[in-house]
Amino acid sequence: MPVYFLEIIVVALGLLILMVDAFVKLEDKRTLAWVGMLGLVVVFALLFRVQWPESTEGAFWQFYSANDNLALFFKGIAILCTLGVMIMSYDFSGVVVDQTADPEPGAHPQAGLGEFFALPLFACAGLMWMASANNLVSIFVSLETVTICFYVMVAYLRRNVGSLEAGVKYLILGALSTGFLVYGFAWLYGVTGSMDLAEISAALAKPDVNQAAALFAFALILVALTFKVGGAPFHFWIPDVYQGAPTPITAFLSIGSKAAGFIVLLRLVSPFLASGELVGKVTLAIAIIAGLTLLIGNLSAIPQKNFKRLLAYSSISHAGFLLMALACTPRSSDASGALSKPVTVIAFYLGAYLLMTILAFLVMTVVRRKIADETFDAYTGLAKRAPFLSAAMLIAMASLAGIPLTVGFWGKLFVFKLAVEQQQWVLLAIGLIGAGAGFYYYLKIAASMYLGTPDPKKQVIDDTPIPIGNVARIAMILLMVGIIVAGVNPSLILGLLD
Amino acid sequence: MESALTLNHFLFVSGVLFAVGLAGVLIRRNLIVIFMCLELMLAAANLTLVAFSRFNVQDGEPGYDGQVLLFFIITVAAAEVAVGLAIIVALFRSRETTDVTKINSMKF
Repeated sequence: MPVYFLEIIVVALGLLILMVDAFVKLEDKRTLAWVGMLGLVVVFALLFRVQWPESTEGAFWQFYSANDNLALFFKGIAILCTLGVMIMSYDFSGVVVDQTADPEPGAHPQAGLGEFFALPLFACAGLMWMASANNLVSIFVSLETVTICFYVMVAYLRRNVGSLEAGVKYLILGALSTGFLVYGFAWLYGVTGSMDLAEISAALAKPDVNQAAALFAFALILVALTFKVGGAPFHFWIPDVYQGAPTPITAFLSIGSKAAGFIVLLRLVSPFLASGELVGKVTLAIAIIAGLTLLIGNLSAIPQKNFKRLLAYSSISHAGFLLMALACTPRSSDASGALSKPVTVIAFYLGAYLLMTILAFLVMTVVRRKIADETFDAYTGLAKRAPFLSAAMLIAMASLAGIPLTVGFWGKLFVFKLAVEQQQWVLLAIGLIGAGAGFYYYLKIAASMYLGTPDPKKQVIDDTPIPIGNVARIAMILLMVGIIVAGVNPSLILGLLD
Repeated sequence: MESALTLNHFLFVSGVLFAVGLAGVLIRRNLIVIFMCLELMLAAANLTLVAFSRFNVQDGEPGYDGQVLLFFIITVAAAEVAVGLAIIVALFRSRETTDVTKINSMKF
């Protein structure tokens, strides 16, 4: 099966959900989530059976031909991430119905729920397309498909002021970064005379390239993508948007949006890094952003009290580690071994990040159904009330902190190894400080879950167990097993990247 | 005689447009005006693309790649406006304001 069928299937699945929602009278619209989940599982299975076309030269699909395992790996991340979001949305649908309720008489009691299950699929198709995009036009269109879907999803709870505010903030800053991106694309096109990444790479490698204009284009693109991945100093939207958005969408933003930002960053920065004239300045700029992001993300996370805000700062700090890997690109092409390449390290890190972040958000969504409070107080002494959920959260937090025997440990270790190889000592020091701060703020939650006693002044004491849906329980078990198994043997994930 | 307008003229105008748009986004407080300024930034990018495309002559024809991207930018900008105005209207209904300094219910 040709590989571009995957995106078509995902878009068709989204359209199917919209059509069924519009024309079939369903008792319970959560059935649509089942359709989406099953479809995504099928697409994920098909991912292992695709063939790359022999040549796309001159073909209709020529803009879609970054044909490497990296593209497949990122498609896999996009599908699994969307699947996790659908599982969370299924559990979260009660809140969505409450916050979007239509007061008109005769309306379906779950009106407005169907689109909540279709939009992630359209975003997923955009993410998958972006993984293969090899042309400025296809990068732009797929990136905007994802971003516009996200605008709607973030502002989805239209009776909730927080969600609307988050939506407006995301809209303005997302559109601002789009403006920078297209202006950068225009200049890149002006400097190189081409839209194709391979031709751009060849044009930038020539000695007579206009360096000032190329660096201007690079700066504009870097600003735009730093916005998208949440790097400092353009990270300020992340905490507000993450806090206001519906929880499943926060998870989608923190993984899908970040993975998308990084694949585009990798593809767009590599022509600049391959150019002998520009590589020094480009690396320095990325290294400065990486250092700032690591410091701001980790140090601002320490005083947080709201769980979603903490995960927002945690997502900033992980973006810092990923940018740090990108800043450690080997100067010479003779660096051997897959782990000497930032591309492999970044892909591994994102795979690990997917497992642990989905797990953390899944636990949060389930807890949120019983406890409306999103601050840490809700988690104090949770271990007695919900031992399974606490164990899952403990593993997620341990992996996010990077404790050995979890997959998060290897992700950080590979980044640090890369920094040592490239002798980026300042970045390495900042990274170690960040990782140390991470131990404190992640394990603080774990400690309060297991050792803390609920304070009657801060929360309602309630010892009834928290119900967990079967799908969510299975997903949590799979994610926990994945984190531990890949933590013992990281070559399982690395094998997919060769 | 060829036109006296060179590439630099177009780049200068589009640079000014971009700067005006960016300044508007940073300074103005009304959401609708901010949104208009964002569109101005996209227009600046479009003008740059057309200019580069027109002056990048190969085999006697301008490079059409840039003009193709322009059409996609216009389409995407329209979609963005549709979604964006809907969100702004929904926010206006619940908060009765479009002043960005008053949209601050989330603080840590």
